[in-house]
Amino acid sequence: MSSVIVPGTILSALVLLVIAAASYYYFEKLKDPTYQPKLRDIPAITAIKEGVGKSLEENKPVHYQMGASGGQLYSTLVSMTLVALTFLRYISRLCAEMGAKLIVHMPYQAESIPLIEGTTLEGYREAGKPEDFKRENLRYYGRGALTWTQGVTASFAQEGVGLNLAIGIFYSDCPISLEMAKYMNGLNVGGTGRWIMVYAFAMMCDYVFLGEEIYAAAAVVSQDRMMLVGMLIEEVGKFFVFLLLGLGLLLSLVGMDVVALFNM
Amino acid sequence: MSATWRTLVPTLIVSITALLVLAPFFINIPALNSVQSILNSWTVIISAVTGCALGLVYMTHAIYASYQRNKDMEQLVMGVTTYVFIALHLGLALTQSGGVNSPAYQWWYTVVYQNVGATVYAFMFFTLASSAYRTMILNSVEATSLAVGGLIYTLRQIPLFQTWFPWMVPLGEWILLVPNVGGSRGAVIAAALAATVYGVRTIWGKEISLREVS
Repeated sequence: MSSVIVPGTILSALVLLVIAAASYYYFEKLKDPTYQPKLRDIPAITAIKEGVGKSLEENKPVHYQMGASGGQLYSTLVSMTLVALTFLRYISRLCAEMGAKLIVHMPYQAESIPLIEGTTLEGYREAGKPEDFKRENLRYYGRGALTWTQGVTASFAQEGVGLNLAIGIFYSDCPISLEMAKYMNGLNVGGTGRWIMVYAFAMMCDYVFLGEEIYAAAAVVSQDRMMLVGMLIEEVGKFFVFLLLGLGLLLSLVGMDVVALFNM
Repeated sequence: MSATWRTLVPTLIVSITALLVLAPFFINIPALNSVQSILNSWTVIISAVTGCALGLVYMTHAIYASYQRNKDMEQLVMGVTTYVFIALHLGLALTQSGGVNSPAYQWWYTVVYQNVGATVYAFMFFTLASSAYRTMILNSVEATSLAVGGLIYTLRQIPLFQTWFPWMVPLGEWILLVPNVGGSRGAVIAAALAATVYGVRTIWGKEISLREVS
């Protein structure tokens, strides 16, 4: 048995099993058409709509960016790429409905460009205005954060900023673009799941999604029941982690080696 | 191709691939490790090929569109320079004996390419370091607590403050090791759980972020 199961992975497998079981429960629950999961309101979501309105009033474009390296498709951060695409669809639909110009600053991972282009077009289609989709408003700046930050800030300076929505995988590229957007009197709304960069968003944005809030917000803006129950499944995972924390505390109080126990 | 097939086939490919890549993390069977290694290699190959091809196409499109928006000499020089750079990269690597190890390529790489890169990089990080001070907004409890914590932590590393305010050293350490670690662990666990849910949903074929309208 011990040779088949990789040592130190039992706890990870257990967490995965709990999440899979919760997923099964909620996916079954979704078969009931009257079941409507609810999540609390997040102020930054309301701010996005206000930002699009502000852009229209000031006759400036809405800018959307998912990070210089926000198009990662085969890394551990791929879930943030999917969140960014959900927001892209939302902001495209919103801009199409309200008649605002949307500029999308694409990440340097060129392999994700078809997804970005397709998602933007889907947003315009959802609003019933596919003819308003303009490919030249999807901007690509080549490889690297250096060219990306220069391209984005140049666009801000030349075309103005009403709303700057920044959601996705951000490294040290975000402070420069957030600063430029603020300098151009734009409204900064954004967030990332990368904890190390959350500080930058918390201090530099007018409205921020703190860490995992981007996942919850993506579910809210999609208004899709499947996405919404995803957050409830995550809550089950959180309670399981709380349970492990309590259990670990109790066991360590009675003198057991909790680290060895949880590293089985 | 019907919409069902257009959705079903990619979903099946993703689900089976994900399960095969995930399994060796938990199960120790050599055949599974080999399959995981092959799939990982192919992921990189497919991504690199599509990335390079699409990158070149989109870069050309972006340079053209940029010139159309702003038809001046600077834009033209920028566009031409990009292709001269690529031509130098490929031309020297392919035509010189020794390829990328040839003296000509090495000279171009170390004297021209690296220096230009380092200069622009330095410029970006100088801007970055100062942009936080120019843009910081203390408009929420989160932002204020981050700013105060960061300030104390930074000040306690400066010798002058260590001499004048010795109490700052243990306070800075405490901020770093207690609230910082506690908060970040909680945030990382929550974000990782949310990412896991995305993964499970993708394997299950229930991921709908990228569904089509028509």
